[in-house]
Amino acid sequence: MLATYAPVLIFMVISGGLGLVLLFIGLALGKGQKDPEKTSPYECGFEAFEDTRMRFDVRYYLVAILFIIFDLEIAFLFPWAISLDQVGLFGLVAMGIFLAILVVGFVYEWRKGALEWD
Amino acid sequence: MTALIDLLDRLIGVIGLPEFLHYVVLTSIKIVLVLVPLIIAVAYFTYAERKIIGYIQNRLGPNRVGWYGLLQPFADTLKMLLKEIVVPSNASPFLFFLAPLLSLMAAFAVWAVVPFSENFVIADIDAGLLYVLALTSMGVYGVIIAGWASNSKYAFLGAMRSAAQIVAYEIAMGFALVGVLMAGGSLNLSAIVLAQEGTSVLGWFVWPLFPLFMVYFISGLAETNRAPFDVAEGESEIVAGFHVEYSGIAFGLFFLAEYANMILITALTVIFFFGGWMSPFAGIPGLDGTFIGQSSFFWMAIKMAFFMFCFLWARATFPRYRYDQIMRLGWKVFLPVTIVWIAVEGVMVAAQIGPWAA
Amino acid sequence: MVTTLLFYAFASVLIIAAVGVIASKNPVHSALFLVLAFFESAMLWLLMEAEFLAVVLVLVYVGAVMVLFLFVVMMLDINVERMRDGYTRYLPLGLVVALVVILEIGHVIWYRSQNLPFLTVPEPNPEGYSNTRELGSVLYTEYVYAFELASVVLLLAIVAAITLTMRKRPGLKVQDVAKQVAVNRDDRVRLVKDDAGTETET
Repeated sequence: MLATYAPVLIFMVISGGLGLVLLFIGLALGKGQKDPEKTSPYECGFEAFEDTRMRFDVRYYLVAILFIIFDLEIAFLFPWAISLDQVGLFGLVAMGIFLAILVVGFVYEWRKGALEWD
Repeated sequence: MTALIDLLDRLIGVIGLPEFLHYVVLTSIKIVLVLVPLIIAVAYFTYAERKIIGYIQNRLGPNRVGWYGLLQPFADTLKMLLKEIVVPSNASPFLFFLAPLLSLMAAFAVWAVVPFSENFVIADIDAGLLYVLALTSMGVYGVIIAGWASNSKYAFLGAMRSAAQIVAYEIAMGFALVGVLMAGGSLNLSAIVLAQEGTSVLGWFVWPLFPLFMVYFISGLAETNRAPFDVAEGESEIVAGFHVEYSGIAFGLFFLAEYANMILITALTVIFFFGGWMSPFAGIPGLDGTFIGQSSFFWMAIKMAFFMFCFLWARATFPRYRYDQIMRLGWKVFLPVTIVWIAVEGVMVAAQIGPWAA
Repeated sequence: MVTTLLFYAFASVLIIAAVGVIASKNPVHSALFLVLAFFESAMLWLLMEAEFLAVVLVLVYVGAVMVLFLFVVMMLDINVERMRDGYTRYLPLGLVVALVVILEIGHVIWYRSQNLPFLTVPEPNPEGYSNTRELGSVLYTEYVYAFELASVVLLLAIVAAITLTMRKRPGLKVQDVAKQVAVNRDDRVRLVKDDAGTETET
């Protein structure tokens, strides 16, 4: 069983190697002049108005946390979906309770407006 | 295909390497056999995009370089290799070059588990579906690190928005795949394709799981930041989003990763919902044994081509969604639809009613 | 032999990445080293044939939790100089604490493994063994209580995150798309009889 995973490792190594080769060719061939104007950040032709940090927008944090929760839910759903014939009705009810609790959470976030974006 | 692999196996055996190296060399050749057509497919996909969108918009696409413009992708690649890579000031060069590499590796590594035909899959792992989901999650990192390493407000903002969008639609994709898993009964991708065996077209999963197919395909459009969901790299808004500071081959790697991701989504759609490499004329008596009756990579290629055309069609046809509309679609529409579907399908599979009567 | 080699390779990269997390000056670099450490751990679990756990580690930890970490680390302007300020002062104490923890762990493992026979190689799994399936068949039957508790913990996380971070801006108008789509002509258009059109007399 383990031997089936070996090609995956080799594939990752080869694709990483391919990317590195392409980058090196690009760096070697694309010699150009360095100029301070060229390397300054792009702001539609003007000098940068303010510092690079944008103000912390808490909506991104909330989206990431909600993503973790639902990703965990998916991770729990996978073994259930595969072993549905073995766990039968009991497993179905157990997963139903799990989904119901998480649906309560989802409705809560919907009503609270956490899913609104601006 | 197996004949070719056997021939290669014997050729390498002639050199007489130790068993481990023999295996590595054979696998590497199989990987190259997948990667080279993939890269050529990506190159000609960009050409097809410009031609097809051109014709939809009532104009010719590229037609100067070579006969009918067919050499255009090679010209583009040469241009990208020769352009200077401008590393922005105050950017961390290590992170700057790591981001496209991460994107590329995440986009390419998934192809190891895609079954192209009945007996050609590079890594026939038992947890193929989970592996696919895990590696598409890794794709977010390329975006975030690119935005950060560019040391530019616009790149960073574009990267955050793009990352939040990708992450929201990944959940919808995950739930849709759980639905497919229940129908297919195994995490192995080849087994899912084989579970769709039936009288030709009727056995495919798209019929019982049609809403999940729609959710998966549209989430695929949103994951790859493709129109109409391309607000994070919309040309009129934030210039090029997270890769605004990239030029030359570094941009080329992002481009390669994006189009490879698109082709991957079409391949997975075909595998999960449209019977993979199975021919639509498979179960019909009388056609068995002929070329159109045989399942092979040819059928998978045709189905993939149709969905790639759908990607381009969607780009040319629909106006761009606004960002809050995108998030609303991902969270408030797709998530409830998929949860309800999984609940209902779970009951049906457990009680063995409907199309899953065993 | 190959598995042993791979194990040492992955384990050494893991240790280097873990040291890189704490030794790196840039918090973004630390977060990325942590991603590498998780990846290597997943490879180690894969070597032990726990494929479901390995892939779920990548899916959840690398794909979700570290994304959250990166979001936060990138958006907060962390003043690294101030954070590192007492590093050399507290280093000896830190080493002593680490040594004590290592001794405790070693002692517990030694104590617990007193009467266990020495396992050479675990027996190979039967044909058609699926790690996910085996996990599923036990998780929803024998350990269903723990499973339901997990769902309550997730609910708690949702409620806590929203309570701590939601801040409604005053005067915010939200679109109700259902209402927008359910509009019909009579709500929007009203025909008015007007006297325009009479001739002006010069």
